[in-house]
Amino acid sequence: MKKNALVDNVLPPLVCISMLMALAAALLYAPTEKVMGDTQRIFYFHVPAAISAFVCFFLVFIGSVQYLRTRYAHWDRLALCAAELGVLFGLIVLVTGPLWAKPIWGVYWRWEPRLTSMLIAFSIYVAYLMVRTHGASAGQAPRLAAVLGVMAFINVPLVYYSVDLWAADQQLHPQRNVGLEPEMRYALWVCFAAFFLLLSLLLKRRLELAKVEEAVEKMRQRVAAGMDH
Amino acid sequence: MGFFSLLVLLVFNFSFELGGAALHEIGPGVLWSAFVFACLLGLNRSFADERENHSLDALLMAPGDRGAIYLGKMIANLVFLLAVELICLPFFALFFNLSPGFFLLPLLGVLVLGSACLSAAGTLFAALSSTMRLRELLLPLLLLPMIMPALISCVKATGLVLDNQFGAALYPHLKMLAVYAIVFVTLSLMLFEYAIEE
Repeated sequence: MKKNALVDNVLPPLVCISMLMALAAALLYAPTEKVMGDTQRIFYFHVPAAISAFVCFFLVFIGSVQYLRTRYAHWDRLALCAAELGVLFGLIVLVTGPLWAKPIWGVYWRWEPRLTSMLIAFSIYVAYLMVRTHGASAGQAPRLAAVLGVMAFINVPLVYYSVDLWAADQQLHPQRNVGLEPEMRYALWVCFAAFFLLLSLLLKRRLELAKVEEAVEKMRQRVAAGMDH
Repeated sequence: MGFFSLLVLLVFNFSFELGGAALHEIGPGVLWSAFVFACLLGLNRSFADERENHSLDALLMAPGDRGAIYLGKMIANLVFLLAVELICLPFFALFFNLSPGFFLLPLLGVLVLGSACLSAAGTLFAALSSTMRLRELLLPLLLLPMIMPALISCVKATGLVLDNQFGAALYPHLKMLAVYAIVFVTLSLMLFEYAIEE
């Protein structure tokens, strides 16, 4: 409990500071890219958001597998909360991408492999959340969602490769091993750190909320059962 | 299902004003859209009898691996889907002025592989959604993004076959379909018992 309180006290200010540092690093410290100019600076948020989204999807997978194995409610809560955050970060990626694309590619949207696969992965996890909220009764939701969480994650690489196969000639994303200036790399690392701190804070808060929600639901059921008698 | 997919072909015909000329651009997409929609209709029904008669419990009580139930359902869905495709194909050829030729043989291969992918993933999701509220609505929402990798390769491979290109260009798509089918059958066999457990 004490350790928890320490994290509670330290994490929020840390996120604030690191976010300010990330802003400074991306907007002030990092040198302006020669070809794309200031537009390129959105990259410092785009890439960490994308990685964070995939971290979340991986957490959904872990939570789902562990829930099916152990049936502990906390694994299910992890899967649910991570899915919500994954959709949130995915949305950041899908918004920042087109914002950058408009001045660089001339259009907001192109059916470019990585854009397309992000969109498909995003819609899979939106469907996952819809099942959780609309589809299943409270008793069976965790189990059905867990099966879905496993399928969804295994599907992500398949989506990635198939979309690559589909539109290889449309590939416009920088490929691996792009030479980044050292300053750019430092700025990117600061942004990564800020996003991961933000992710852990949001996840922690959301998990606590989910726990309380579950307790409230149990209480409500108990009250309803009491009224029946 | 067969009649429905014919209707889908008709709808596309009117919404795009297709003629024979458009065959190679959008023909494969039209064909597979019709199949996917028909497949969704069939999948929605595939656990309906068990649900209405509460006979799933009896199935679950049967001694033996639950993967067998999945495989049985999957093969049934596959057979139905293939039947629909065989009904649909002559009409597709008719509407698009397609004359029969050697390409039919590889096309059949693509159809079998693609249908295996659709029913492999579809059967598991049908089982998952069979106990949900709003199942008719949720099944397409779940299934459509999931089958996207298979669908992409189905459409591409069908396009190549209709263009009489059977060589190196076709191979990666067939490989993709085979990998997808194997991955989803394996995963489903592992996960099916969790999907239908009472």
